[in-house]
Amino acid sequence: MSTVILQQGINGIVFGSLYVLVALGLTLIYGVLVQINFAHADVVTLGAFAAYFFTFVFGGNYLVSIGVALVVGAALGWLVNAAIFAPLRERGSELLPLIATIGASILLQNAMLIWFGPIPYAFDSPYSNAVLRLWGGTYITWQNLIIIGVSTLTIAMLYAFMKLTYMGKALRAVAQDRETAGLMGIDPNKLIMLTFVIASALAGMGGAMLGPILVLTPFAGTTVIVKAFAIVIIGGFGNVEGTIIAGLLVGLIESYTTQLVNPGLTDIVVFTLLLAMLALRPTGLIAEKREENV
Amino acid sequence: MDKRSSVFFLGAAAIIALAGFTAEASAQDKVIRIGGLFPMSGPGAYFGAQDKQGIELAIDQLNKTGVNGYKFEVRFEDSACSPLPATQAAKRLLDQYKPHVVIGEECSDATLAVMPLMAQAKVPLLNAGSSSIKVTDPGNPWTFRIMPNEVMQGVDIATNAYKRLNARKAALLYENTNAGIGNAKVFAETFKNLGGEILAEIGFGRDVNDFTAIATRVAGLGKVDVIPTYTLEGQGLRITQALAQASVTKGGGGQAIQLGTIWLPFGFEQKAGKAALGYVRIVQFDPTDKRGVVQDFVGTFTAKYNQAPTHINAHAFDQILVIADAVRRGATDSQSIRDLMATTKGFAGVTGSVEFDKSNQNIKMDTIHYMETLPDLSWKALGWN
Amino acid sequence: MRLALLLAAAAAIAAVPVFFEDSYWRANLTICAINVMLAIGLDFILGYAGQLNLGHSAFYGIGAYASTLLIMKLDTPFWMAFALAMALSGVAGMALSIFAVRLRGHYLAIASLGFAVIVHQVLLNWISVTQGPLGIYAIKPPPAIALPGLPVIAFSNPANMFYLVAGFALLFYLLLDQLARSPIGETLTAIREDEVSAASLGINCAAWKVFAFGVGAAVAGAAGAFYASFVGTLVPDAFIITESFTILAMVILGGMGTLIGPVLGAIVLTILPELLRGFGDLRLVLYGFALMLAVLFMPGGMAQAARLARALCGRVLRAQVPG
Repeated sequence: MSTVILQQGINGIVFGSLYVLVALGLTLIYGVLVQINFAHADVVTLGAFAAYFFTFVFGGNYLVSIGVALVVGAALGWLVNAAIFAPLRERGSELLPLIATIGASILLQNAMLIWFGPIPYAFDSPYSNAVLRLWGGTYITWQNLIIIGVSTLTIAMLYAFMKLTYMGKALRAVAQDRETAGLMGIDPNKLIMLTFVIASALAGMGGAMLGPILVLTPFAGTTVIVKAFAIVIIGGFGNVEGTIIAGLLVGLIESYTTQLVNPGLTDIVVFTLLLAMLALRPTGLIAEKREENV
Repeated sequence: MDKRSSVFFLGAAAIIALAGFTAEASAQDKVIRIGGLFPMSGPGAYFGAQDKQGIELAIDQLNKTGVNGYKFEVRFEDSACSPLPATQAAKRLLDQYKPHVVIGEECSDATLAVMPLMAQAKVPLLNAGSSSIKVTDPGNPWTFRIMPNEVMQGVDIATNAYKRLNARKAALLYENTNAGIGNAKVFAETFKNLGGEILAEIGFGRDVNDFTAIATRVAGLGKVDVIPTYTLEGQGLRITQALAQASVTKGGGGQAIQLGTIWLPFGFEQKAGKAALGYVRIVQFDPTDKRGVVQDFVGTFTAKYNQAPTHINAHAFDQILVIADAVRRGATDSQSIRDLMATTKGFAGVTGSVEFDKSNQNIKMDTIHYMETLPDLSWKALGWN
Repeated sequence: MRLALLLAAAAAIAAVPVFFEDSYWRANLTICAINVMLAIGLDFILGYAGQLNLGHSAFYGIGAYASTLLIMKLDTPFWMAFALAMALSGVAGMALSIFAVRLRGHYLAIASLGFAVIVHQVLLNWISVTQGPLGIYAIKPPPAIALPGLPVIAFSNPANMFYLVAGFALLFYLLLDQLARSPIGETLTAIREDEVSAASLGINCAAWKVFAFGVGAAVAGAAGAFYASFVGTLVPDAFIITESFTILAMVILGGMGTLIGPVLGAIVLTILPELLRGFGDLRLVLYGFALMLAVLFMPGGMAQAARLARALCGRVLRAQVPG
């Protein structure tokens, strides 16, 4: 039994790190812009398809395809900001961009349905079925090891960028207070664009790594995104550390709910936790002052 | 109104106007109009896209010569695998296209929702893909089904698992849908009645991605003989791989045998790879079948679409041929298509033969073939039916 | 003026089934009426009280399942089940509003989204009660009305069903309109505009939020009860969270904070996808694109666009009158 408990811990951390990658993008956008982007899900899906086509149609290396998906994601992020968020920003509404991204999401999903068809793609990376046996009868596939490794590395780099570079400091400043960024002499429009590019690049990468795990169809990203929203809230909107902890937590909750109760009930458990969290500690796991929302 | 908004309004008006004028040309003389109710949007589009291919191939072939002086025409409506859109699509078909016969839906709840509308309009509904027992039990004079229902499939699989594979302990994996729950329930009941034991019943939604956790749970159950799995292709692939990685099934060095349904297409094994070794599943359409109809179908399908046909393509193809068979025997309108379909005898389609019982359920079990996956990922026909 | 509008609305409801004779279009009309109820209910919460609710599909689903289960399992008469379903949805709305008392903006949005996910999953997994994905079939239409001396009005007839649902939609519209024009409406908009100064005026913001959620959710519950008896089949997936987004889009596109706007939004967004059926695969691509463009170019919704058009016409007319 202890093997099973340990193994579910490993499974949970793998999925948790993927959730973190997807949720971090949402958190970054929220932190800077205080907006929700529903099209984020479709950036994940398109990242997965980019990696698939790069690997199987153009015969590229899977590890390189993660980078390709990153670039595709970044480009989409630029597009979503330029087409939707930038024109709507002056209006200062929380609702209009949200509806516009819902429209964009419907558009993208159905365009992908026409381009790629509805039949699930069998996207296996060379590492999907290579199993590394660990201590005490537990195991991990190389694919999952790559997921944990790449996620950790990316998060570390993002962290260093935010804490060490001038641009990163400006980003954090604008997240806390709009005017400070202006005082730092950085164009807030550029910062917002940068945020979208980084956030969507993370989502694209997440897609490339999710591709070999999930069922790759034009609707793949949507299965992840609702949970990503829960993670963003549980972690405290706009809070990077909180999002990381919450993402891993949700991954673990899912694998243990599957083990102990039933996989059908994972959403109920995760979202009940979300509501409990909001009722008891609305600032998220890690307290951060955001008076205007609470 | 500024310039941008006027452009938008003009655009919207143009879109709506265009939509209004896309009505199809009126039907010619001596045509059998077939309505196709299939999911074309959303996740269920998986079915509709394949149904459409099989139907169009069959109609192309039949219309070269015609049947009894009749040609066939089809109009598809997106029923979205869901009751409300399905009833809307059905009403639209019945009102505007006035079909002589309708084929579809794939999802049981959508099929069950449109059945009363068809009965009321006295238009026969020919179904292939819905496995819920309720489609033909107690039976509706206007609804026909050519696929074995969940009870026929479930009892057969459970009995063979117990008697031929000597399985005593089973773990059930199924999607939380009408079909998944229904099939799993029939298997569990039959298997327990025979003396077997169900160690776990694990249901999951179609949005679940994390199958490593499910495989770990199955691995923790101890000795499992068979794992009947009721999912579509996408989740099925991931489950088979996860079970092998967890060393549960033969494909991963374990000893459990995964049992599969007719929902999985030909070529599943190649996609799943080595993990599929030892998988025993029923197929309704076997492209390696040497019968002439099957080889002709595979040849013409591959020529037209440049891809190998799936069981869904084959089902759809057979549905049109069953209708054509009734027309060949003199059917000319909805009532006579219904009456003559009910007396279908010795029909040999690409998925097997068809003969309906009193509830309009196909009773021929030769549509079910048991196949075992060999180490080179080819099939071995087990010849159990 | 208002009486004239009311009469015009009643006349329009009476007339449309005459112009749309086939059952497909009559069914579309009934769905329009159901969606109108959903949109004006959400608008009361969102547009008037300013509470960002992304979980309206939950109240819709609760109403549909509560009424159907009461009728089929406990033999409750239809109209009593209808009233109870409305009450239950209203209570669910009030329960969710507890979060609205503490949270605002996107926090409330995600809390309500989470609530909708939970309700959908409970409907899906509580098979012993709801049948889950197995679905409930053969749900009867509302009982026929037999008044002495008049022909029996059966709701299996699509035109009668439309009159019934549209009649209720009009009734709810009038009730909400009355509320919005009363001091209660002013109180709600005061909370929407600035909660702190509303509180300083002695307004009990928490109580009024609970009230707005209760009313809006109860109307959605009524829509759910009609949905079940109209479609005749009930599966949990009819109430997935994307349904909330569709209702939200109706409100925004129509123009939130006005009641007539969401009515127009509901009608357009129900009919538009049907009109786009001729485009086949492109249908939903165009729908998504239209939604996006509408937000970008018509942010005040159709209600605002109509006002602009009226102003423009006025200007043109005045310009034509010399002197």
